[in-house]
Amino acid sequence: VGRVTDNPTRVERVLNLLALLLDTSHPLTRDEIVGEVSGYPAQASAYRRAFERDKEILRSMGVPITVEQVGDTGESGYRVRPEDYYLPDLGLTAEETAALRVAVSAVALDHPAGEGALMKLGSRTAPGQAPIASLPLVPVLAPLFDAFRRRAVVTFTHRGRARTLESWGLTSQRGHWYVVGLDHDRGAIRAFRADRIEGDVAIGPPDAFTIPDDFRPELHIEDRAWMLGTGEPTTVQLVVDAGYTDWIGPELGDDATVEPRADGSTLVTLPVVDRSAFRSFALGFLDHAEVLGPADVRADIVEWLETIASGPAGPA
Amino acid sequence: VNRPLAQTEIQRILALVPWVIAHPGTPKTDLAARFGVSLDQLDADLDLVLMIGVPPYSPGDYLDVETDDEDRVTIRLADYFRRPLRLTPAEGLALLAAGRALLGVPGSDPAGPLATALAKLEAALDLPDVVIEVGDPEHLAAAREAARCRERIEIEYWSAGRGELTTRRVDPAVVFFALGAWYLGAYCHRAEAERVFRVDRIRGLRPTGEHFAAGESEFDAAEVFNPSPDDPRVTLRLPPAAAWVAEAYPTEAVTERGDGILDVVLAVSEPAWLERLLLRLGPEAQVLRPAEWTGLGAEAATRVLARYRR
Repeated sequence: VGRVTDNPTRVERVLNLLALLLDTSHPLTRDEIVGEVSGYPAQASAYRRAFERDKEILRSMGVPITVEQVGDTGESGYRVRPEDYYLPDLGLTAEETAALRVAVSAVALDHPAGEGALMKLGSRTAPGQAPIASLPLVPVLAPLFDAFRRRAVVTFTHRGRARTLESWGLTSQRGHWYVVGLDHDRGAIRAFRADRIEGDVAIGPPDAFTIPDDFRPELHIEDRAWMLGTGEPTTVQLVVDAGYTDWIGPELGDDATVEPRADGSTLVTLPVVDRSAFRSFALGFLDHAEVLGPADVRADIVEWLETIASGPAGPA
Repeated sequence: VNRPLAQTEIQRILALVPWVIAHPGTPKTDLAARFGVSLDQLDADLDLVLMIGVPPYSPGDYLDVETDDEDRVTIRLADYFRRPLRLTPAEGLALLAAGRALLGVPGSDPAGPLATALAKLEAALDLPDVVIEVGDPEHLAAAREAARCRERIEIEYWSAGRGELTTRRVDPAVVFFALGAWYLGAYCHRAEAERVFRVDRIRGLRPTGEHFAAGESEFDAAEVFNPSPDDPRVTLRLPPAAAWVAEAYPTEAVTERGDGILDVVLAVSEPAWLERLLLRLGPEAQVLRPAEWTGLGAEAATRVLARYRR
């Protein structure tokens, strides 16, 4: 096993750049920095590019580089304020650090941030420990969490629509992450599944709102697809055969009723907003359930099944 | 230039230096284990640390790394690296999410060191709390206990794919939360093979008092959701409106056919699962292969229709 260092001069140069930016008492211009830190190329265009790349690698790690105007020319001056850089002492006992280590080892996040956080606490995941839970952190969660922490308004695209949201909470329910808060366009509290957010999340200025003290994001999750949308709900009756009630699942909600019938089957009465989503739910039972009414909902299902039963639509 | 590797090393050194400053005289073997590197890599890292300094770069302006004759390391003159870099939002969230998820698992101590660690983290870093719900199906605690002490259990299990209730003796290997539900991975004596069971579909669970030996049931939790090599592969042609299927399920191949039409290959363990998907997708989704399943959607629709027409 040989030396594992990749590009030692680059690593050394970036560490010296950071040491200088942290140690300086006043902002330094690029030319001042390049004149001090060894390892930059001599040619101006080359050292500018190298400096930009070094700044980028530091910023991508979360190093807070501040930029201020310096001198008469208004040139950019760079520094890292120690108070922005340093992780405060968390006062964790060895037992508490070990507990965090166990947690990060036990919960598979599909994201390197857990390992990165542990390293800063002088720890790492337990080698060979099999996780007991998988809870993937999708990339948009980090900016959503940051905005939630700083009380900043976020804008993003969700299912093709632009949304502006005061992020009042972040929650994971039944394996899905949601951001919950006041939707500016609708003037109402809404929850959005994080994995359905497309592209980047833009974060507004901090302290833009206050979150009600008693706000509980988990009470605003609507994961029943047939209740999504804005129309008036229709009350639908679905009969489910004996033995198939396990398929109904826990997600039916409080506004549904479930009554056992004499033949062992179960009558489910539930409000439905999105009829095609309800059709998917009802057909999930295959021939072990039947929509009793209302007549138009039943007719929709029959018509849908007839088009499938008559074979493939286009030329195969 | 391999940038991620360079970044990994920079991040490690920025964590290593403050650790050694706070714990002078830590043996090299401890450091290597703590930061997950070989002794060679640790030496390479410490060599790099010696090259860090500030103007005017006279000998006293460089970090000083000292290793005594028992390989205990001390770092001096590194005041600007005395603390690690603050956590990024992703790192703060990762600790909270992992911690809250584990605290949410039934049986965790709500006042133990994990809970107090998260409270300190939230207070010191001004982090808001996140609520994580992993559920608590009726037989979860008993299944976890049986896996822990390697006890054979008898379960009554509702198979959704087949629509039947069966009684099985199983040797529980792992209990695992994924995709929003708890699963039990176990050697099933009825199937004489390893099987995955959804814990919320276990209707009854009885300990047998028999124990099985470690290693008798080798179960890799990471492979729980990988399709069995024996599962039939199905090629589906999807209209643009059904393109979500390619993202929602693990596909083995996706081919674009133009006009937003996709052909996807999926492993399907139960025909009933494919029937439900086809009824949901409607007439424009077609099974191309295998030949015996090209009519599966139409047959399922006919069967359901029969019920509506009787």
